[in-house]
Amino acid sequence: MKEKPPYFIEFPRAPPREVPVAVRVIGWGEIYGSFDAGEGEQQATRCIDCGNPYCEWKCPVHNYIPNWLKLVQQGRIVEAATLMHETNPLPEICGRVCPQDRLCEGDCTLNDGFGAVTIGAIEKDVIDKAFKQGWRPDLSNVVPTGARVAIVGAGPAGLSAADRLVRAGIAATVFDRYEEIGGLLTFGIPPFKLDKAVVRMRRRVLEEMGVEFRLGIEIGRDIAFDALLDDYDAVFVGTGAYREVAADMPGDTLRGVEPALPFLIANVRGLLDASRDVRQLDLAGQRVIVLGGGDTAMDCNRTAIRLGAASVTCIYRRDEANMPGSRREVKNSRDEGVRFLFNRQPLEIVGDDRVKGLRVAATQLVVDGTGRASPKIIPGSEQVIDADVVIVAFGFRPSPPAWCVDAGISLDTTGRVRVGGEGRLPFQTTNPRVFAGGDNVRGADLVVRAVHDGREAAVSIVKLLAADSAGVMQFHAVSETTA
Amino acid sequence: MATRSGLYDPSYEHDSCGFGLIAQIDDRASARVVEMAFSALERLAHRGAVGADGLSGDGCGLLLHRPVAWLRALALESHIDLAERFAAGLVFLAPKPAERLRAIGELEGRLRDEGLEVAGWRDVPVDTSVCGAEASASRPHVAQIFVNAPADLDEGAFERALFRARRLATNALADDDYFYAVTLSASTIGYKAMVLPGALKVFYPDLARADLATSAVVFHLRFSTNTTPQWRLAQPFRHLAHNGEINTIRANRTWMQARSGKLISPLIDFSELGALVTMDGSDSQSLDNALELLLIGGIALPTAMRILVPPAWSAREDIDSDLAAFYEYYALHTEPWDGPAGLVMCDGRYAACALDRNGLRPARWALADDNHLIVASEAGIWDYPDSAIVAKGRLGPGEMIAVDLVEHQLLRNADVDALNRDLAPFKQWLRDGVTYLESHLIDPSLAAEPFPNSTLARFQKLFGLSREERDTVLTTLAELGVEATGSMGDDTPVAAMSGEARPLYDYFRQAFAQVTNPPIDPLRETAVMSLVTQIGAEGNIFELSPENAKQVMLTSPVMSQRKLRQLLALPQFQNAQLFVDLYYRENEGLEAALKRMCSEACAAVRAGARLVFLSDRYPPQKPDKLPVHALLATAAIHQALVSARLRCDCNLIVETGTARDPHHFACLIGYGATAVYPYLAYQTLFALGNDGRIRAADGQPRELGRSYRRGIRKGLLKILSKMGISTVAGYRGAQLFEIVGLDRAIVDLCFAGTPSRIGGTRLVDLESEQRARVRAAYDANESLAPGGLLKFVHGGEYHAYNPDVVGALQRAVVTGDPDHYRYYADLVDGRAPASLRDLVELRGDVTPIPLEDVEPIESILKRFDSAGMSLGALSPEAHETLAQAMNRLGARSNSGEGGEDPARYRTDKTSKIKQVASARFGVTPEYLVNAEVLQIKIAQGAKPGEGGQLPGHKVNDMIARLRYARPGIGLISPPPHHDIYSIEDLAQLIFDLKEVNPEALVSVKLVAHAGVGTIAAGVAKAYADLITISGHDGGTGASPLTSIHYAGVPWELGLAEAHETLRRNGLRDRVRLQTDGGLKTGLDVIKAAILGAESFGFGTAPMIAMGCKYLRICHLNTCATGVATQLDVLRKKHFIGTAEKVIRYFRFVADDVRTRLARLGVARLEDLVGRTDLLEVRTDVAGKRRRIDLSPMLNAAGLADAGAQVCSGARNVPRDPGTLAARIVEDTRFAVAHKRGGEFRYAVRNTDRSLGARLSGEIARKHGDLGMSDAPIMLRLKGSAGQSLGAWNAGGLNIVLEGEANDGVGKGMAGGRIALYPSKDAGFVARDAVIIGNTCLYGATGGELYAAGRAGERFAVRNSGALAVVEGTGDHCCEYMTGGTVVVLGPTGLNFGAGMTGGFAYVLDTERNFVDRYNHELIDILRISLEGMENHMQHLRGLIATHIAETGSVWGEEILDQYRDFLSKFWLVKPKAAGLDTLIDELKRAA
Repeated sequence: MKEKPPYFIEFPRAPPREVPVAVRVIGWGEIYGSFDAGEGEQQATRCIDCGNPYCEWKCPVHNYIPNWLKLVQQGRIVEAATLMHETNPLPEICGRVCPQDRLCEGDCTLNDGFGAVTIGAIEKDVIDKAFKQGWRPDLSNVVPTGARVAIVGAGPAGLSAADRLVRAGIAATVFDRYEEIGGLLTFGIPPFKLDKAVVRMRRRVLEEMGVEFRLGIEIGRDIAFDALLDDYDAVFVGTGAYREVAADMPGDTLRGVEPALPFLIANVRGLLDASRDVRQLDLAGQRVIVLGGGDTAMDCNRTAIRLGAASVTCIYRRDEANMPGSRREVKNSRDEGVRFLFNRQPLEIVGDDRVKGLRVAATQLVVDGTGRASPKIIPGSEQVIDADVVIVAFGFRPSPPAWCVDAGISLDTTGRVRVGGEGRLPFQTTNPRVFAGGDNVRGADLVVRAVHDGREAAVSIVKLLAADSAGVMQFHAVSETTA
Repeated sequence: MATRSGLYDPSYEHDSCGFGLIAQIDDRASARVVEMAFSALERLAHRGAVGADGLSGDGCGLLLHRPVAWLRALALESHIDLAERFAAGLVFLAPKPAERLRAIGELEGRLRDEGLEVAGWRDVPVDTSVCGAEASASRPHVAQIFVNAPADLDEGAFERALFRARRLATNALADDDYFYAVTLSASTIGYKAMVLPGALKVFYPDLARADLATSAVVFHLRFSTNTTPQWRLAQPFRHLAHNGEINTIRANRTWMQARSGKLISPLIDFSELGALVTMDGSDSQSLDNALELLLIGGIALPTAMRILVPPAWSAREDIDSDLAAFYEYYALHTEPWDGPAGLVMCDGRYAACALDRNGLRPARWALADDNHLIVASEAGIWDYPDSAIVAKGRLGPGEMIAVDLVEHQLLRNADVDALNRDLAPFKQWLRDGVTYLESHLIDPSLAAEPFPNSTLARFQKLFGLSREERDTVLTTLAELGVEATGSMGDDTPVAAMSGEARPLYDYFRQAFAQVTNPPIDPLRETAVMSLVTQIGAEGNIFELSPENAKQVMLTSPVMSQRKLRQLLALPQFQNAQLFVDLYYRENEGLEAALKRMCSEACAAVRAGARLVFLSDRYPPQKPDKLPVHALLATAAIHQALVSARLRCDCNLIVETGTARDPHHFACLIGYGATAVYPYLAYQTLFALGNDGRIRAADGQPRELGRSYRRGIRKGLLKILSKMGISTVAGYRGAQLFEIVGLDRAIVDLCFAGTPSRIGGTRLVDLESEQRARVRAAYDANESLAPGGLLKFVHGGEYHAYNPDVVGALQRAVVTGDPDHYRYYADLVDGRAPASLRDLVELRGDVTPIPLEDVEPIESILKRFDSAGMSLGALSPEAHETLAQAMNRLGARSNSGEGGEDPARYRTDKTSKIKQVASARFGVTPEYLVNAEVLQIKIAQGAKPGEGGQLPGHKVNDMIARLRYARPGIGLISPPPHHDIYSIEDLAQLIFDLKEVNPEALVSVKLVAHAGVGTIAAGVAKAYADLITISGHDGGTGASPLTSIHYAGVPWELGLAEAHETLRRNGLRDRVRLQTDGGLKTGLDVIKAAILGAESFGFGTAPMIAMGCKYLRICHLNTCATGVATQLDVLRKKHFIGTAEKVIRYFRFVADDVRTRLARLGVARLEDLVGRTDLLEVRTDVAGKRRRIDLSPMLNAAGLADAGAQVCSGARNVPRDPGTLAARIVEDTRFAVAHKRGGEFRYAVRNTDRSLGARLSGEIARKHGDLGMSDAPIMLRLKGSAGQSLGAWNAGGLNIVLEGEANDGVGKGMAGGRIALYPSKDAGFVARDAVIIGNTCLYGATGGELYAAGRAGERFAVRNSGALAVVEGTGDHCCEYMTGGTVVVLGPTGLNFGAGMTGGFAYVLDTERNFVDRYNHELIDILRISLEGMENHMQHLRGLIATHIAETGSVWGEEILDQYRDFLSKFWLVKPKAAGLDTLIDELKRAA
């Protein structure tokens, strides 16, 4: 009896073609192409529709991945797009920026030895195609409730909340201090990962759905937060986490030491509108060191390459296996010429008035129980690495606006907004009219988690407002089990 | 009598047995007839059972036809004056004189009321020394009453008066536990007692008197699953004795009750007599009641029996149309009492024997030259030599044989038919009266008035139709016309334990047959099945009238829109229908609404309504009403109509959105619906089709309805057949479910009589869940729920093997880190309550003992088995890894049903437990002797009542070799074991296995369901050593979804019930109890032990330890983890399992057990069994789960008496020592040891069972299956051999028998030769007589069988290699055959070659009717032409020549003499898939 190999072996994993390195580093375009006709369908067919959909389980928003892969197999793009939006208001963005290799694709059953299904690429492809075909979320059944909600921050959490609210018949107005929506999606994430046209498209879609954007307005500066509380039935706060974790070592005030986020934001703003007065770094011919091992560090690496740096060295205190960011981004960085130095603890930025180098010590990892392995310095292993610019990407902390406290929104010791808990709806802050989610609640985290929070906060807001109109406070949900 | 505090319920008892009848056709009474009956009883002793005390039989008895002289002598001696016409009766009375006097007074009074004279009473002498303790404890006082008839009373009127008096007295004495009139008749008298068959004559000295003479006697001996003594249930009853089980009993009883107002005999008024048949107790007793009713009402016995137990007639083409009309006419007013049933009976005129349509009980008959007809379960119980027998045979399915003692005639089946056919012009009446609803080739129903999308979505949400159900269940039904297949098991909580709102139907678990009665195969044996549904008021059986034929017929109860509309518009119904709108206003309340609907229905039917039309199709515009669930309404209304005796005047038609899959239909019909119109399923399919999401065969959506209905019908037939029921009439209203988790109030209101043992969800809970659905339905923005019942979906139903649990378990075994195990165990043990066991916790206030004082881990590991998982379902790598791990742990692995590579025997890869399942794949003598435990898989948790299936793409060359099958062709195991149709058959199989491998323990695997305890008791009495009770959540490699989800109950209930019942019957110390079903952690083991288990089976958990990720794609052969696939690329490169990982898992669990034992202060796991005092019911449970009341379960397991809690004996030794077999082994010891061969001679009789098996086992142990073929031992036997002659015959054993043999000849044969022929001076024609019984060569893998005579039913079923020549066969010959060659030199029964995928056959068709007799699905038949088929011509000639040489067949010689003439009458039968060329290869191999 002759065997026919299963489909997922006969057709190996094949993501869309990448733009060759030599071409991609001279521009800012996205590096992944789209599927050619039939390719996406074929890749979707590789899904074995497991009894335990590990992809869906791992996905922070629990996308119905096997279900929409099946629709894609059948070429039912529009239905797939609709289904994607059931769990995720921003699928084309998550398809691009999610670290799939740590989430859905990482847990894909086929990832053990067969190559995971190309979930992210299919997700992005479906939405791009659906939009191109003119598809839009169907709001024809929505009956306006008359309620209005203000959203502070047009980042992923805010956009996600806005989407869910307008679908529930609640008017949503989104305020943001920048001139374009997206927050970090627009300004933090480099365009070679997320083309800004994608965000603009999403803006159009949301506006067509009835979301109102009021941009370039900073709450607390241009409009008082209290005014929002007065004018709207509820407020969602999605202000993100912008406060840098400082380098906190000798020499960190030298010229040439750059915090990651301002570096990235400045770059994007410059690209979006060259006429704008922003300080875009000129790295041409410079030796650049990037400190950190997360996705932001990778963004800095790759941005520095495109800015013409002579060399880019990424320094991380643990080993490669213990990096927190997406493996795909490490690979891309490496492909584009970044040099990695693992197991190095930065000790001091060396220089007089400007950076000359970085003193580091070698580390080894020590496992001490259940947590992550921690790096311990190996005595006598110090060295200095020459550099002109050091970009610090050690992460971010929440940056809660000052008006929070006045509005009765309490924070935890690290500055995160406290939500939920006993007697409160999920994502409800200590001010019952105010909800929050995303990085300002979690600390710096993935885009998709912010999307999740915005979505769930909107569910809570809908409940609150429904209770308002019913005249009862019935949202004190009883937990079904006590186990 | 049993108390009801536990789970045991006496109504679950089953019985089965040996039976027979002897009649002298000329009605000449003689003492010899009685003598023969006694000797027959003794020779059937192995078919009965013995209680725990070793003396109390399950009962036996005689029914004597007019022993007038003897009765007169008995009366005379007691100074009783008898009139010319008198009756005598045997009466059981209370031992206490006061109660006895009251009963006597009552009976006498009633007799006098009827104008009869009580001539006198005598105390019947009894010798109690032969009674065991159990029988003595419940022994009644036995008295005899004599009644004189007034001179002017004819016999019929006298019998009717006696009947009325007896019935009225019985009703008046209902509170008297003892009073029971065994018989009270002028024409027959019965004697019965709870003693062993040999002791009946001792117990009743009356029966030993020399003057006892009769012309006919019916005898019976009982094997009951229980020993709770019940003297009255011994048989024969007043007219009949029964071997088997009435599968339709629930429907029969309900409908007899419902139609009691319609049974109006011109001769007698039944109206004051109370319930016409007993509503509980023995099924045979109820059937006896029904038969008596018809006889008393004026219907002759041959007609009455055929009305009650008709043959299959609706799907048969070969049946005479006038005869079919007789059956159809009566089917309009009754439903069949379907078996398995072998019935012997006797009244004033006839003595008769009949089999039901399936013919699953053996009945062999012989006619002697002195005009005695003898019928019995076995051949060889009569003492006539062959020379004195003029004819012999067997009853086939649906056949009847009778003796007319008045006309002195033997009535063969055709004579009985002729009698009935001519009673009335039935055909004409039906032609004029019956309306068939029009059906069109193109079915437009789906397209008529489609719902707009938004309306459709509203309905879908209103009735909880999820996307998952739509895309998996409905789509598959419509696309393929069959149910979707799934794998693994159901790891979700039962509905009442769920945190989700589950469909009401989920609370209903389908009943299924196990052990005491067989499930049937609705696909392969389709001729017996029927879904024909009649609509119209029933008529009176006692009235022969064309009016009674005015009925509307539907081919199935699943309606299309077109048929529904036609029906509602028929003139006779137009103004005689009640529309019941199922929506009610919330303020009315669900309960009040239901009650209102019931009284409306009753009132309307009373006023003349003939259709009660229930509908949820018209919801209100605004969400201000709730729908009553159609099942609640249907059941409640049906129940109300039955109690009001109105149900047979009307039909319930249900139009509902809730009915979508076959189980939903089964529930509605099982609770009384006549027909169901599933509009929402149609509308959904229409939308999907319109949208291009379903691809119908021709690409057009309009045919989807048809194919959906086909799928539902198939599913319905499967559900019926699980219970062994053939017709929907026998299922309707039968309530064949167990309810798990509904509140008593709901059960009483709607489902009274259905087992429901733990309370649970209340009406208000259902109402509030429905309220939420209504809310979602009317919210246009709420999308359809994603589902999550079949597969895990985040936020949906809990799954016990969710990704988190699977990942955690795998991390634990990969790392070997106890912390990781703890994390896993906490995840499982700390989940929100999902299983019943999660509702109880271990007591924390007991004094612990030091861990060192607890038994070592090794002795705990010994109690662990892996559950049966076949090689085939699993890859060889996974299967071997598991075996190695278990062997290294000192535990046992289970081969599953797919055989095992002989290369693994005697290595560390061997499975110590070898499974014997219904397909008998690779079950050879060598396989059987290489086992420590032989497990008979009666049922599987994932799909009880069905056989396993292995899809063709998993049958690669190796699997095919081990299973003796063909690569690439799917393998389906039969639903029943074809050698187990009843409990005494199981006893026989256990005996067979213990013969072939006396060292092995025999285990029987059952699935939990209400009544499993009584079955376990029966199994213990059948001498099993181990019993496994599986939960509903067991795994499977491939199975229809409704089977996975709707059958079986949690093991907690089954285990506790089995433990309790075994203890109540003093049998617990004889058998070891095991449970399996989702065991994951030490806590599971601890709780199972407390509930009664001393051994534990694990299936899924060790698979996951080997890398299985619970993908549920086992049936696709693409398992990416290499565990459940046969694809080389996946097995070789991706299987990551190691024995080490499995070992780690089990050691973790055992360690967990130890720790917990220490904490409980118990040193040994064994000491924990039954300690329910260590459990506490949790009080911190929220939601509907807290409504569940586990006290029956906890009371059951912890019966506080001192009886054994665990098995104490090493093994459960059968009563029959198999003396002759042992002698043969001794005699042949040298010949086997030295491979010398030789010839040995023995006389045999029917009590010598499984002859040859012991010797084959010895041979296989030393030389393998075929190793001694070249030096064979020859056994020359003479006489009537008992069952299973030559079972698992090994190469090297040749058996020649002059005489005859019973069922199971050559079952499991692997090699050697068996030849049978009658003695040369036989008085009958050999080729017309039956020489071997039913299911011969079942599961044979090789060897040869020659029989100069005919075989019974199911000859060569599942044959995969044997060669056989016989001279005629019964029905279903060569069923499921996958290899071998069968030559039939005479007539065959129906359904030849059903499911046959390999091997071939030659059939001599002199009557030229074979074309109607073979099953056309999978086989072709060809003439053997002279050109081009020389091979076959020669081959056949050679086979016949060998047949002559082996048996001296006269018929064979005649054929060879005129071979050319005969050749043109032979058919070559071959699987369609096989080419002639491959057959020739087989010929060469066979040569």
